[in-house]
Amino acid sequence: MKNRLRVLRAEREWSQQDLADRLDVSRQSVNAIETGKYDPSLPLAFKLADIFGLAIEDIFLREEEQQAAAE
Amino acid sequence: MMTEAVQSTAKPGVWAGLFCTNMALIFVLSITGAIEHPVPMILLACNMVLLIPLVKSASRAQEEKGAVSKAMRAYNRRFLTFSFIYMVVMLGAAFAAGKLAEGSPAMWVLAVLPMLPAFGMIWAMVRYLQEEHDEYLRLRAVNASMVGLGLVLVLGTGWGFLETFDLVPHIWAWWVFPAWAIGLGIGMALPERGGEVS
Repeated sequence: MKNRLRVLRAEREWSQQDLADRLDVSRQSVNAIETGKYDPSLPLAFKLADIFGLAIEDIFLREEEQQAAAE
Repeated sequence: MMTEAVQSTAKPGVWAGLFCTNMALIFVLSITGAIEHPVPMILLACNMVLLIPLVKSASRAQEEKGAVSKAMRAYNRRFLTFSFIYMVVMLGAAFAAGKLAEGSPAMWVLAVLPMLPAFGMIWAMVRYLQEEHDEYLRLRAVNASMVGLGLVLVLGTGWGFLETFDLVPHIWAWWVFPAWAIGLGIGMALPERGGEVS
């Protein structure tokens, strides 16, 4: 699933490790989520949303949004 | 942020390759009758020593990839401890078996003893899955154990049929655990698709 994690991190000047520390997960997990290789569980998605102060749908893109972004 | 390309110093693949090559050599020598009981057991137990640098170097590689957790460190420590006990018990059993009369009740004890550290290694895996709160690392471990299971099922079923038709010699069933562990290692080492560090 596509997401805006890289942009959101860049806006805050956080490395993947910085975000991993905030989430209490490994850096590899952040990398897997960010690159769309792994879709997080709901609790982890809510944790991400809380950290960025956004709603889940502001971080993860729905299928229609992904298609629109690709076009 | 700048990304630095760091050359990994950990080479778990080298140790894993050496470990598997030795296992394969012992296996071939054993089924061709070039070495006889208890020599294969002794050689296999000695080969287990390689698990120490293998696990240590795999841990270092995991640290470098940012893929290590407290639960993973505990798992590595427990796995190494049980591997060491397994090696000692296997060696002890192989030496003691020669001194016991065939069918003696003590032989039952010798046969059961190596099972205990093997169960300990499975317990270490179960504990890891219970203790790991990083869901992605947990998923990777489950996927890796499925690779191990797949390897055992494919090899076991394949060899079973070959043996049924007298095409290959009979082998002892305890090979399943090392085969599963090798599959687990392969599963953990499989590269992830894509992904950049920043």
